Amino acid sequence: MSKDFEQQLRDALRPIDPEEGFEQRVMARIANEPTRSRRRITRWAASLALAASVGFAAILGAHQWREHREQQGLEARRQLLEALRVTGEKLDVAYQAVNREAPPADDESGA
Amino acid sequence: MNTFLKHSIAIIGGWVCLCISAATLAADGQLKLPNFDGLADKASESVAITLDPALLGLATRFLDPAKPDEAAAREAVKGIKGIYVRSYKFDEDFAYPKADVEMVRKQLTAPGWQQLVQVKSRKEQQNVDIYILVEQERANGLAIIASEPREFTIVNIVGSVDMRKLHELEGQFGIPKLELEQKKQQ
Repeated sequence: MSKDFEQQLRDALRPIDPEEGFEQRVMARIANEPTRSRRRITRWAASLALAASVGFAAILGAHQWREHREQQGLEARRQLLEALRVTGEKLDVAYQAVNREAPPADDESGA
Repeated sequence: MNTFLKHSIAIIGGWVCLCISAATLAADGQLKLPNFDGLADKASESVAITLDPALLGLATRFLDPAKPDEAAAREAVKGIKGIYVRSYKFDEDFAYPKADVEMVRKQLTAPGWQQLVQVKSRKEQQNVDIYILVEQERANGLAIIASEPREFTIVNIVGSVDMRKLHELEGQFGIPKLELEQKKQQ
């Protein structure tokens, strides 16, 4: 019985030549499938790139928003000063008319 | 409730809302300015400024308190909620629609508005009208309508107006300084 078993084992474990092209197929598969570590590195790199681009976009957006806000503020300031200039100019006309000395009767009325 | 009744309630509700919003608009001192966009092409000089509370707040933050004129401006706009200016100059007489100016003038007949100064110069054909909106004995709005044959200006300031501070701006921004007290003494 032990001899039979030994024989069976020998038969089962006998060296068999692989089919033709086996080596090429294995090598091709290795080349196509990234290894676990390579896959992990790729995933890390992708996450890092994504985080970096999100951060860059956020910084760029904040910078542009601040620049736009500053331009808007400077323009609003310019408009405010211009508005006050026009207001002052018209008030000035009224003040001058009110304070004009002895206006001719047919020139000024209703001040 | 039948459909007619529902429609009637909706229409009345709409009218009430419209009236309330119109009254609010008039009460806060903001005038309804006509659309003068088309005039900008015809005008030799034009100024159209719309500073609502947000923009006015932003503009104030950009004023430099170290500069005397800007510090005075900052003081002058305290309590002001909006500034609206339309000013156009033309190369020929009466190139602007007088009806639009009159439409603004009409709004100043609403309760609360009081005419402070009226200047009519026949020689120069110059009219300047200054109105203030008085609410609870305080000036809560200012309107200036100035017209000449080749120029018209409408200024509407909304909010608590301190005429003294506005007057203090004389001499700033190129406005000639008037020596009113000296003149009075003479």
